[in-house]
Amino acid sequence: MAASSFAPALADAYEIPWVEKYRPTRVADVVGNSDAVARLQVIARDGNMPNLILSGPPGTGKTTSILALAHELLGPSYREAVLELNASDDRGLDVVRNKIKMFAQKKVTLQPGRHKIVILDEADSMTSGAQQALRRTMEIYSNTTRFALACNTSSKIIEPIQSRCAIVRFSRLSDQEILGRLMVAVAAEKVPYVAEGLEAIIFTADGDMRQALNNLQATFSGFRFVNQENVFKVCDQPHPLHVKNMVKNVLDGKFDEACSALKQLYDLGYSPTDIITTLFRVIKNYDMAEYLKLELLKETGFAHMRICDGVGSFLQLSGLLAKFALVRETAKAS
Amino acid sequence: MGKRTPVVVLSSSDDEDEGGGRRAASRGPSARRARTPATAPAPAWATSGPRKKARRVSIAERGRRRATGPAPSASLKAEFDMLSEDFSECLNDIGMAGSICQTKELWVDKYKPHSSAELAVHKKKVEDVKKWLDEKLKAPKGTFGGWTLVLIGQAGVGKSATVKALASELGVEICEWTAPVPTLWTEHLHANSGLRYISKLEEFENFVEKIRKYSLLSPTSIGSKRKLTIILIDDIPVTSGKVSFARLGKCLTGLIQSTQVPTVISLTQYHKSENNDTAMWNSEELESLLLSAGAHKIAFNPVTINSVKKILVRICKQEGSDLTEELVHQIATSSGGDIRHAIMSLQYYCLNPRRLNSGLATTAILPGLRSSGTLVPRQDSYDHISLIPTPCGRDETLTLFHALGKFLHNKRETYGDVDVDVDSFPLKEKLRRNPLKMDVPEMVLSQAHGKVRTVADFLYENVLDFIDDDAIDDAWTVASYLSEADCLLAGSPISSARWMVNESYESESMTQLIAASVAARGVLFGNSHVSSSRWHTIRSPRVWQIEQSFRSQKDQILRERYDYSSTSGSRNFADLVTEFKPSERWICHRDDMPRSNSLIHNVETSNSEEDEDVIEDW
Repeated sequence: MAASSFAPALADAYEIPWVEKYRPTRVADVVGNSDAVARLQVIARDGNMPNLILSGPPGTGKTTSILALAHELLGPSYREAVLELNASDDRGLDVVRNKIKMFAQKKVTLQPGRHKIVILDEADSMTSGAQQALRRTMEIYSNTTRFALACNTSSKIIEPIQSRCAIVRFSRLSDQEILGRLMVAVAAEKVPYVAEGLEAIIFTADGDMRQALNNLQATFSGFRFVNQENVFKVCDQPHPLHVKNMVKNVLDGKFDEACSALKQLYDLGYSPTDIITTLFRVIKNYDMAEYLKLELLKETGFAHMRICDGVGSFLQLSGLLAKFALVRETAKAS
Repeated sequence: MGKRTPVVVLSSSDDEDEGGGRRAASRGPSARRARTPATAPAPAWATSGPRKKARRVSIAERGRRRATGPAPSASLKAEFDMLSEDFSECLNDIGMAGSICQTKELWVDKYKPHSSAELAVHKKKVEDVKKWLDEKLKAPKGTFGGWTLVLIGQAGVGKSATVKALASELGVEICEWTAPVPTLWTEHLHANSGLRYISKLEEFENFVEKIRKYSLLSPTSIGSKRKLTIILIDDIPVTSGKVSFARLGKCLTGLIQSTQVPTVISLTQYHKSENNDTAMWNSEELESLLLSAGAHKIAFNPVTINSVKKILVRICKQEGSDLTEELVHQIATSSGGDIRHAIMSLQYYCLNPRRLNSGLATTAILPGLRSSGTLVPRQDSYDHISLIPTPCGRDETLTLFHALGKFLHNKRETYGDVDVDVDSFPLKEKLRRNPLKMDVPEMVLSQAHGKVRTVADFLYENVLDFIDDDAIDDAWTVASYLSEADCLLAGSPISSARWMVNESYESESMTQLIAASVAARGVLFGNSHVSSSRWHTIRSPRVWQIEQSFRSQKDQILRERYDYSSTSGSRNFADLVTEFKPSERWICHRDDMPRSNSLIHNVETSNSEEDEDVIEDW
């Protein structure tokens, strides 16, 4: 109580992460994956949630939608009728056998059509033994308890569990969708920005809403202004424009410029992994002839592999550029 | 509020029988109509009733008394249930709640098959099981062996459902094992209240022990007519490591050899065991163990698309939902023969608000899905280029096939080479390609939701069919790109080790992405002379079959090796094959025998005694 009355005063001193602050509380507000979200809305309205597996890359709203769904379904009885376990909780065989089963046997008075919900976040990190133990519980108590599993790759869930669930697939959010949500946060927090800054945030996020919001907040609290420079400083990624220029120089035959650009990047202290990750993203979106793109991607892949092997030297990166140049030479019409 | 009353009444009378009580009270009018008269064990009850009994096989008497009060028999309770049900039904009719009550159950439970006619399983298999059950139920007691049936099949093909439906048809009770809630290990460590930690395996052993001892005392002989029972073991505990597996094996072998009640063990088969650590749960191993102990085996195939569809359509009709035929077909196809998952998906897809339903229909119509198996993509699938159907199934391959079709058919714009190059960078004639008639390959890939390894394997297996017969250069190019993608995928030893421990999503994702686009783009680029659009089937990669047989061979060899001696060092596998296998042939004097599967069973039966002991010591 006291905390809430002091909230305005404390707001400057302590800020909760915007990811939490702007986490949608209603299923309808979840951004992207409109088909899946619309169906979840129907569940929220009608009840009788089937067992669900939500799978998709991080930051696409799996956990958010399932939490929102549980809140909408159960309202005030959320506390006693939802069991939420994620990878940080102990979820071994014992817990599945004991805790989840106890919860499934617990009696909670709910509205008709509502069920207790067990939310297993990051379910792909559960051992297959624990998943095996889950499968029977899921079946026996299906008239009182329903399960919602969130995971990155649905194939890491064992087949008997997959068979007992409806699979909802989430895919990466589009840039527009992320932008839309960013604008909400920007407007609410009165963040000063320029359009390029937001663009940069979207680039760094790469379809991950959580990262986008985190980067926005970090930039704002660090510099109080969102422009390209600040964003890339905060996110500590090589500036994609810079990288793009480098690629362009190589393709235009200006190898010296490209090399000096690379040197510059390297001297700024970016690790080869950072540089190559950005390079990959840039090349992926770069408009060039099909053959060139294929070859450049391939070379980038091999360079990445070597860097992952531990050969993360400047030489490797320069060699990569040289290979790009070679590719260009072979491809050029004489 | 009023309609909660029966729940309260019921739950005060049987405090333990929660599931049944709730179910009875909340049963909607429609579900009730499906019920048989109250004296016979109604199918819906057959699922919850016997299960409770199973938990206390030996103390069934006591439990029953507690549930119903001292004197009255079960029929009185049933009558009471009927009354309260009527009561709640009346209330439902007065109120509006009918529709809500209807949606309370999962459809999988709601449309559980009650008779063998309703089963989606192939008739012949049902007949086989029925014949076996009939035979065993009529057979005289007192003979040992041959009382066990092993049902093998993938998840969701209706193994347990078949047994349950048949049992209710034959009027037989099913006794299932349900593991009670255990004590946590930490509780056991820290609480001094004398809680004993019992592993699930131990409990299973106890259960089996009880079955063996008390099988002749029928626990349900309250009425004058003694009911026949079937034991259904559905939930075999997970074992990790050789020791506990051996214990489980011993326990099951004992059960099979000594039981005198028809016992059905259902074993789930995994067709891709890359997901689960093979050491932990090896269904093949268990299967051969059960068979060698003398169990009769019936293997269930995946349910055919048509029967899945028939059932889905029936459910749709009963639910009054208006899903398009195409969508139903799509669900059926992508379920991969898993009827339970198909019904689950159907329930999920029926959740549509009306506007959405129409929107989805348009996306779902497009792929010509009349094909008989998932492995046959349709010719016309690439006519609708930018749309990929909503992925619904457990099976990722369906959406994957659309992507593969796009890559393989390689549709391009046909107009001449107007400035293709944005950079105004002149390419060699040979390397020039017309723009693609599809989204960027990366986009297609991300929509396909497939794993990169799968994509690459499939492309490799099938791409040659799509290259013109004369274009050997193209084949070179494609093959070289695919090999590079493969190399990228396998990655460095470090990253592959990381992959094994399934560490962070992000670190592996970049190599994966690059490999995927190299594979896809390589195929697109290399295949410059696409063979005329004939009808092609897309085969599943042969590499997979080889890997599978490799795994099973390896398992076999390891097992044989452990059967003989337990003085194991950690010899590596190559040593085993080169040294142990040849010498084993000398030891056993079985050199005239062909190397076949039967060999392994012989080996096991002959030294089953000693090897169990040996492994336990070890």
